[in-house]
Amino acid sequence: MKSHKLSLLLVTGLTLTAAAACGSDDGDDGGRPGAASGGTAPVSISVNCEPPKTNKAQRATFEEDLAAFQKENPDIKISKVTDAFPCYDPRTFEPKLASGDLETVFFVNFPNVGRLIESGQAADITPYVDEIKTFPDYNSSIDLFKKDGKIYGLPTDGYGMGLVYNKEVFTKAGLDPNTPPKTWAEVRAAAKKIAELGPGYVGYGEYSGNNVGGWHFTASIYGRGGSVITPDGKKAAFNTPEGKAVLENLHQMRWVDNSMGSQLYIDWPALMKAMAGGKMGMMLGAPDVLIALRNDFGGKFENYAITAQPEAKALFNGGAGYMINPKATPEQIKAGLKWIEYEFLTPGKGQLDYVRAKGANLTVGQPYPDLYRPDTPSGQAVDELRKANANIDAAQFAGWVEGSRGIPPKAEPGPYAQEIYKVLDTPMSAVLTRKDADIDQLLSDAEAKVNSLLASKS
Amino acid sequence: MSDVTSSGITVMPGRSAGIPPTSPRQGHSGRRQRRPRKPINTQFRTAVSPHQLNTARGRIVYWVVLVAVLVSFTAAFVFPFYWMLTGAMKSTEELNSIPPTFLPSHFSLDGYLQAWDLLDLGRLLGNTAVYAGGAWLLTLTFDVAAAYALSKLRPALGKVVLAMMLSTLMIPPMVIMLPAYLTVKDVPLLHWNLLNTPWAIWLPAVANGFNVFLLKRFFDSIPRELLEAAEIDGASSGRILWSVVIPISRPILGVISILTVVNVWRDFVWPLLVLPDSEKMSVSIGIASLSSQMPQNVLVASLVIASIPTIVVFFLFQRHIMAGLTAGSLKG
Amino acid sequence: MTTASVPAASGRRGQPTRLRRAVKRNLTAYGFLCGALICFALFSWYPMVREVILSFQKTNFVDPPEWVGLENFRTILQDPAFWPAWINTALFTLLALVCGFGIPFITAIVLNELRHARAYLRFVVYLPVILPPAVAVLLFQWFYNPDYGLFNQILGFFHLSGLQWLNSTSTALISLVIVSTWMNMGTGTLIYLAALQTIPSELYEAAELDGAGLFKRIRHVTIPQTRLILLVMLLLQIVATMQVFIEPYLLTGGGPENATVSVVYLMYQYAFSFGNLNGGNALGLMLMIVLMVFSAIYLRVSRDNTV
Repeated sequence: MKSHKLSLLLVTGLTLTAAAACGSDDGDDGGRPGAASGGTAPVSISVNCEPPKTNKAQRATFEEDLAAFQKENPDIKISKVTDAFPCYDPRTFEPKLASGDLETVFFVNFPNVGRLIESGQAADITPYVDEIKTFPDYNSSIDLFKKDGKIYGLPTDGYGMGLVYNKEVFTKAGLDPNTPPKTWAEVRAAAKKIAELGPGYVGYGEYSGNNVGGWHFTASIYGRGGSVITPDGKKAAFNTPEGKAVLENLHQMRWVDNSMGSQLYIDWPALMKAMAGGKMGMMLGAPDVLIALRNDFGGKFENYAITAQPEAKALFNGGAGYMINPKATPEQIKAGLKWIEYEFLTPGKGQLDYVRAKGANLTVGQPYPDLYRPDTPSGQAVDELRKANANIDAAQFAGWVEGSRGIPPKAEPGPYAQEIYKVLDTPMSAVLTRKDADIDQLLSDAEAKVNSLLASKS
Repeated sequence: MSDVTSSGITVMPGRSAGIPPTSPRQGHSGRRQRRPRKPINTQFRTAVSPHQLNTARGRIVYWVVLVAVLVSFTAAFVFPFYWMLTGAMKSTEELNSIPPTFLPSHFSLDGYLQAWDLLDLGRLLGNTAVYAGGAWLLTLTFDVAAAYALSKLRPALGKVVLAMMLSTLMIPPMVIMLPAYLTVKDVPLLHWNLLNTPWAIWLPAVANGFNVFLLKRFFDSIPRELLEAAEIDGASSGRILWSVVIPISRPILGVISILTVVNVWRDFVWPLLVLPDSEKMSVSIGIASLSSQMPQNVLVASLVIASIPTIVVFFLFQRHIMAGLTAGSLKG
Repeated sequence: MTTASVPAASGRRGQPTRLRRAVKRNLTAYGFLCGALICFALFSWYPMVREVILSFQKTNFVDPPEWVGLENFRTILQDPAFWPAWINTALFTLLALVCGFGIPFITAIVLNELRHARAYLRFVVYLPVILPPAVAVLLFQWFYNPDYGLFNQILGFFHLSGLQWLNSTSTALISLVIVSTWMNMGTGTLIYLAALQTIPSELYEAAELDGAGLFKRIRHVTIPQTRLILLVMLLLQIVATMQVFIEPYLLTGGGPENATVSVVYLMYQYAFSFGNLNGGNALGLMLMIVLMVFSAIYLRVSRDNTV
């Protein structure tokens, strides 16, 4: 009857396609040159890593800061804020990076910093860093973001490794929660006691997949004084007594003592979730683990404490920072750095606004982020603010602070850290899944693989 | 990107399958007549002989097998749903208790409320509905028009076009996902970025050689005389398509509709790539990407909520969906 | 040649009209075709070509791409997960065929014999197919937990020791196969059931008269009568299962010890964890060639059988 209906539908469909596609194009001004070069028009930037909805308090303060920052800088408009959690998630981060859909200011954790710099996927910010007041006070964590004298990003969070443990579980197992293990032998003994509490109890939890296995292997071998790659970055350096000791220790705990449970923890949140569940005794982790357990995983904060990594000779330098989209205009870079400075690097503001944090049901007093040298004005200002507003039991972190003092930090194993970690996942998962795992063989296999990987890159 | 073969739902047509075409109504699976309960119905003959079936031994064996099948099917396919439904009502502690509790100790919908709230399931489900609905509309519009043109208007190079469309059946979307992803991110010539827009789901759904194939085959079977009669009346091609072809093609349109919606609803990899923004995610991707940080009971609750719409729809259109999917796969 | 086949009825008209009509018909036809053509070009044809191109290039999406010959292939061949990925994929396909092919067929034969509760049985066997795969997979992730999971709880109930499921190199892959079978077997079952119902009953009667027992009847009537659909399903399933991704992606991350890394998973890792899209493309090209072989066999089979 109505002969034009279908062709009309066709036409409408096509027009809609075009219209919506154009529309989406307009919306995407994140990394487009010219979007901001209109003189008086405000610079538009996008940022990520808004705290997730599960973390109500931090989300609220973050939103406050967004509003305050834009009020203070009327020439900057933060057009888009994303809240994916974890902020660095390989499943969404890489697609966005590859697509150019990445925010102007983006979060990056330390293992990925070197690779992004190496592949030219972060903007060079060297000419602009002088505008950041606290920049000269940075401690060595900034070195990770430098290459050939240029700077590609700013660390905003930094900490050394330690041993996180659950005091309640310790008490249940008849262990003294105030004298946590100081050697690996003591860790083993404690783990065994905890596992004996009954089914479901895990003495010591460890990662074994999705690159986090290799990441914790690295933290462990650093602690024992070993390395993952040679200083020139051309060869593997973990097939050593130190590397062997790491795996042997895990193997014994898993198969002789049966104190590690049988569930594998294949990604970062998996072990965190298990730790927050209240039946796990210990895990390797930095002080941020305690806060994440409280804020993101619903753990009972007062039950957890952190002590120094046992027998540590060097501490794996963990942390995160921000980089700028390589397609950003100079105006956008400047605006982006201003936001980073405001939110993360100004004592008394943003994440370092301890007065507000105290009132907002957030923890104050934890010894991180550790960004500034202690003898600098910034370092001292942060320290004083922290002390004045502390609302947590300093004892939860005291063991770590005391025990880690003077132990040198050690950085990620080069720009191909992720690929190396993937190779190292294999020995980690092998000792945790096979009783007959041949540790020497595993290490020499992994060594050969890393050597050929590094050779193919050079 | 909807996937003809990998979803496990659709199959290429057995145009070769030497199965005699049966009209849809002449169902062997049709209604059984109610009979006095004594003899086992042997209205249609299968491998087991009706005679054997109705001997005393045959009947015992039959009932034993029937009960065994009922029990094992219920255990394998219904019990997991029960476990999921009740698991979401238990606390994390209770979920981790050994041995497990068969019934939740408290009746509580907190897990469900929390899941709805934390995962923003309302929006995820809404997104998914938009993706499926738009894909359905565009697929029907474009693929029907294309198949009609290829079948009835027969333009120059029509066979080449058809062959090229069918050639895509040989290359599963999964293996070209990376370059297809690049297309979405930066559409050639036009330089639009379709990431995080519904178009990234809708347009690739149209590029489905299987749909074109099914439709063209069906249109081929429409007698020419029917169209010629309309043509002589002076009807335009569009009008013939709308008022002659489409009304008699309802069965095949139903099949295409179901295939398209189900494919979009079930798809995982493609939306994972093209909808990285947590606001735009489909329900599968949303749950998967948040799964690792949710407490177990909240995660289970979100799985239940995500299954409810599909189960309800399936329940309502059960006959059509099953008939459509199997008919679509067998007879085309 | 298609244009020549104008129906006789309109053939009687004069030449100019005929030409004009042909032009008009072609214009209309391409008008109808354009929507689908654009979509195919953008999302199927161009990506196929581009897959080949990208496999031989290096690009970081900031600088212009450069040609690098076989370097991407060399990189992926050196990857320690390369061979495991292919072996696992083959093994997964094989196991998935044993389970996902045999079980639905046997189920269909049994269901076909039953005279009661047919609607219920067909409904429940199809239920998992309707679930989004992510939901099914995450459900099984919970069931597989060695401490609290349903499966080990059931084993414990019968005083059997629990299995490690996803957490052991020996059981991880088969655990993935189980999930995959559970969520996909409904389709096969219903298709076979429909095929079984088209077998003429005279064939069974004749076989019975010849004195063939039940299993002989299945062997000599049921299987030959459904042979073609079985073959078609087999090939399709090979192509489908060789693209396994969601199970390792959500359940194991390819571990333990690369025991479950699949080709598509590795491809994804290359593109999105290592930021090496070209390496991922090279791997995709390899998979494309392998799958095209199976698709060609499939087409060959269906053509041979229609003639």
